[in-house]
Amino acid sequence: MRITPHRPLPPMRILTLVLLLLPLSGLLSAAGPQAAQGSPASSAQQDQQVQKIIRTIDEMYRSRTSRARMEMNVVTPQWERTLTLEAWTQGMDKTFVRILQPKKERGVATLRLKNEMWNYLPNTNKVIKIPPSMMMGSWMGSDFTNDDLVKEYNLKDDYAVTIAVPPDAEAGLLYLECRPRPGLPVVWDRVLVAVRAEDDLPVWQKFFDEKGKLMRTMHFRDIRTFGSKKIPSVMELIPQNKEGQKTTVRFLDIAFDIKLADDVFTMRNLSRPL
Amino acid sequence: MRMFLKLAWRNILRNKRRTLIAGTAIGLGLASLIFMDALMIGFKNDMIHSVTGQFLGEGQIHAAGFRENMEPDLTVRGLDGVVSSLKKDAEVDRFTLRVLSQGMLTSSSGVNAVLVVGVQPETEAYLSQVDDVIARGDFFKGTTGREIVIGSKLAELLEVDIGDRLVLTVAQAAGGELSQEMFRVSGIYSFNLKELDGGMAFVRLAKAQSLLGIDGQVHQIALTFKNKLTGQTEADPFWGRYFRDGNEALGWIKLQPQMKSLLDIVQFAIVFLGLILFILVSMGIVNTLFMSIYERIFEFGVMRAVGTRPFGVWKLIVFEAGCLAVLSIGIGLALGFVTTFIAAQLGFNYHGVEFAKTTINIIYPVLELRQFLIYPLFVMIFTILAGIYPAFHGARLVPAKALRRTM
Amino acid sequence: MLMLRVAFRNIFRQKRRSLLTFLTILFGFVLSSLAIGMTFGTFNSVVDSFTRTNLGHIQIHEKDYLDRPALYRTVNDLPQISRLLAGLPEVEAWAPRCYAAGLASLGDRTSGVQVIGIDPERENGASRFNKKIKQGRVFRPDSYKEVILGAGLAKYLKARPGDEVVIVSQAADGSIANDAYRLVGLLDSGSPDSDRIAFYLPLKTAQELFVLDGRAHEIIVVARRLDRVDTLAGRIAAGLQSSGLSVQTWKEFARSFYQAMLRDRRNHQLMTYIILLIVAIGVLNTILMSVLERRREYGILKAVGTKPRHIFALILLEANILALLATALGAVLTLGINGYLSVKGIRYAQDITFGGMQLNKVYSAVNVETFLVPALTILVFTSVVAFFPALKASRLDPARTMRLY
Repeated sequence: MRITPHRPLPPMRILTLVLLLLPLSGLLSAAGPQAAQGSPASSAQQDQQVQKIIRTIDEMYRSRTSRARMEMNVVTPQWERTLTLEAWTQGMDKTFVRILQPKKERGVATLRLKNEMWNYLPNTNKVIKIPPSMMMGSWMGSDFTNDDLVKEYNLKDDYAVTIAVPPDAEAGLLYLECRPRPGLPVVWDRVLVAVRAEDDLPVWQKFFDEKGKLMRTMHFRDIRTFGSKKIPSVMELIPQNKEGQKTTVRFLDIAFDIKLADDVFTMRNLSRPL
Repeated sequence: MRMFLKLAWRNILRNKRRTLIAGTAIGLGLASLIFMDALMIGFKNDMIHSVTGQFLGEGQIHAAGFRENMEPDLTVRGLDGVVSSLKKDAEVDRFTLRVLSQGMLTSSSGVNAVLVVGVQPETEAYLSQVDDVIARGDFFKGTTGREIVIGSKLAELLEVDIGDRLVLTVAQAAGGELSQEMFRVSGIYSFNLKELDGGMAFVRLAKAQSLLGIDGQVHQIALTFKNKLTGQTEADPFWGRYFRDGNEALGWIKLQPQMKSLLDIVQFAIVFLGLILFILVSMGIVNTLFMSIYERIFEFGVMRAVGTRPFGVWKLIVFEAGCLAVLSIGIGLALGFVTTFIAAQLGFNYHGVEFAKTTINIIYPVLELRQFLIYPLFVMIFTILAGIYPAFHGARLVPAKALRRTM
Repeated sequence: MLMLRVAFRNIFRQKRRSLLTFLTILFGFVLSSLAIGMTFGTFNSVVDSFTRTNLGHIQIHEKDYLDRPALYRTVNDLPQISRLLAGLPEVEAWAPRCYAAGLASLGDRTSGVQVIGIDPERENGASRFNKKIKQGRVFRPDSYKEVILGAGLAKYLKARPGDEVVIVSQAADGSIANDAYRLVGLLDSGSPDSDRIAFYLPLKTAQELFVLDGRAHEIIVVARRLDRVDTLAGRIAAGLQSSGLSVQTWKEFARSFYQAMLRDRRNHQLMTYIILLIVAIGVLNTILMSVLERRREYGILKAVGTKPRHIFALILLEANILALLATALGAVLTLGINGYLSVKGIRYAQDITFGGMQLNKVYSAVNVETFLVPALTILVFTSVVAFFPALKASRLDPARTMRLY
């Protein structure tokens, strides 16, 4: 006889505001698979081209430090929201994010230092510590999961990449097919990447499961130059199996490799008034 | 004295039909008491099993504090010592080691929170019924180490089937760093109960240990005992033996306290019914005895008429009761033993309600020596007691009236 | 009619024998009736204790909610449901609730919790909420920024009445739901698993926190009588027909509990069959013995010219009259005893605590089965048992019989 609470805990699509913006680079390296050395089928020249493309993608958002202002727009069948955020990162371990808009969430901030995370909630003027087990869910109800954010799968070693020519190839685009190495903890079987021939910047990525079904698509748009980097400023993630769901991140402004103040990644900074 | 005894026997044996009927009636009463007793034990075992058999076990050992928040660092202290001690412990029937953690399971279609359970398949099979209710695939027959077994509801939520990929994410011990591994669904089980089928994911113990960074450690030892009552007996020495040095040892009754209340209520009803049977059987004995004696007034009248003292008649009747008791006990024990034995082998199976097809649905009556001692003793004493009242009646007979042959 | 008079006279002439037979059958009836009554009574007692302390007899949800719980799967028109339930007399109590998952925090301790919004007044009547408070107090009708935690959760967070606990989660419009509430009471529901994550708020508070706009996730309904639950559920479902809601009884939403109860009931029934068997054997024994012992009597009857079939009929008649009389009296007695026990109950040796409730009595039940089953068993058995001996008696050879017996 089992008299457990008959009600299952609703899935924790919690607000892992918590999870905010682990290294931006982490997010994007998930977006850009890179080559393993020497895919046997390609010629040496193709090989070099692949390497070049991959390096471009890889370096796209990577930096030692960064500061960014961005907008995140989440669309679900039940609601739609746009947040304006400001984020600082240092290496892979330190992240600080603050929400600027909308008014209800203004001032909410998250600090992450390696495996520890704190949230500040101005509404109640309290800082709460987030246990690691809470850091695994979806990111702010968006379609990004922690998978996307934690992964530092360095595609150099983790994916086998070859040039591909799909039947509906468009002019001006190059295509890469990336397969994860056996045992890599990802649920997709293959990622198809389309990059611009002129500057190797990604246009879209399509993730397919083992049965060949399209799982999700990531679009890259609005190429802009921020400082010395020319990168897509908009990323849009669309899951294919959920109707009416979409997450879009737009970088309004990013500065790379700048000097950050010492007290950015501190608890004090969390509760500093805006 | 001896003469009356011999007389009593002869009387009993003379009227075979009457004796047989009376003896069988009382014997059946005895057999039913034995059977009912065995059945009641079977019911109790079944109830305990329904609480403990699916996954819980009859007792568990954890590190102190683990049950509150499942911190991965809180592994069982002094594991090697505890395990070797359990192996030698006479009270323990089976035990298995488990690693437990919160985790997230991702498929190509979705994400779900789960309780990750790292198990040793061979010993786990004795403690939980997951392996008995596998609907598709198997319970860790594969050897890659990447096998994962999930419930049917979870498989439905994640839209996966045998062979599909799943990524499991957990927070490690010593720091909480997130670690991930890829698994392939190797088994899907179904208890037909949402709670069990939707929230757990089983992997091999070694895999769970490496995932959490706790090599060689475990979070839980689940146990069954040779005596089924140990799990609910808080005073049993077993608990004191392992509830120390930073560990907690708890019986199922402490792990699921609300079950105890329900079990008590149901047990009360069972005991009540047993009591009713007992009363009925007793009344049956009285009835049988009275009948068999009152029908023979003429016979006793003759005895008195030829000079038997009243006390002699009294003795005779009481002895007859005793002899009848012996006969009835013989019949009753034989019948009781045979029926209960057969039932104990076959068990009672309840069809018609969609239980999962596991052994939890079969009730096995349990034969115990005690049943063959106290019930016959009771029948013996009670039959003789029951004979005392009619014995007085018989002793006080006025021969002339008794000899009158009425219709 | 002569037969009837003869039968009656025979019965009353052999007082002792008839009395024994009568008493045997009487007690058999009463005791087996009591057994059946207890079986039903226990079943009802357990189900009632369980459903009245948390789950309710009937639950209303959005049709997919139980299968895939989600914040947006709500029960929308509470006023309409309130009117519907108010108009059904079989409803004893009902209460709306809303649920969400969140993180609760106090000091440096944070835990995942289940937020449960309850109606402070209705919940007490529907699930005896106020009886489960083991420290502090329950919500008042006007409570707003207050929270009640499960005992296990409070212990983990090291929270005591008066502390301010923070909750953070995601609201129905996607925004961050965040606020702090004063702890006013601790709850012990009897289930440590749920108490470890239970975070209770007044319904209005929860609805505003999660931007639910007056909606809820669950309505529990308690019926006045357990045996009317199914019809009541049907009526409610009819009244809510096109609103995308599902109405379920406890047998559906607490299936594993129901299965366990069914199994217990079968166990009890098995025991009852054994009891009935013994009753039947008692009848058999008595009737058989009395017929066999009166062979001389029947021999004489035949000798004076009674037809065999009359003897046959006489024997059966006597047996059945006794059985009927005993059954009738038994029925009256049973009504009294079972009736008394169904109201007053039998006290347990020790009080049983469940769901924060103290149970000290179990009640018997009075219904058709408690009469019909023992009655039928006895009456049928009487005729069956008397048949062959009656047949044999009617075929006796008077001379031999009178000589031998």
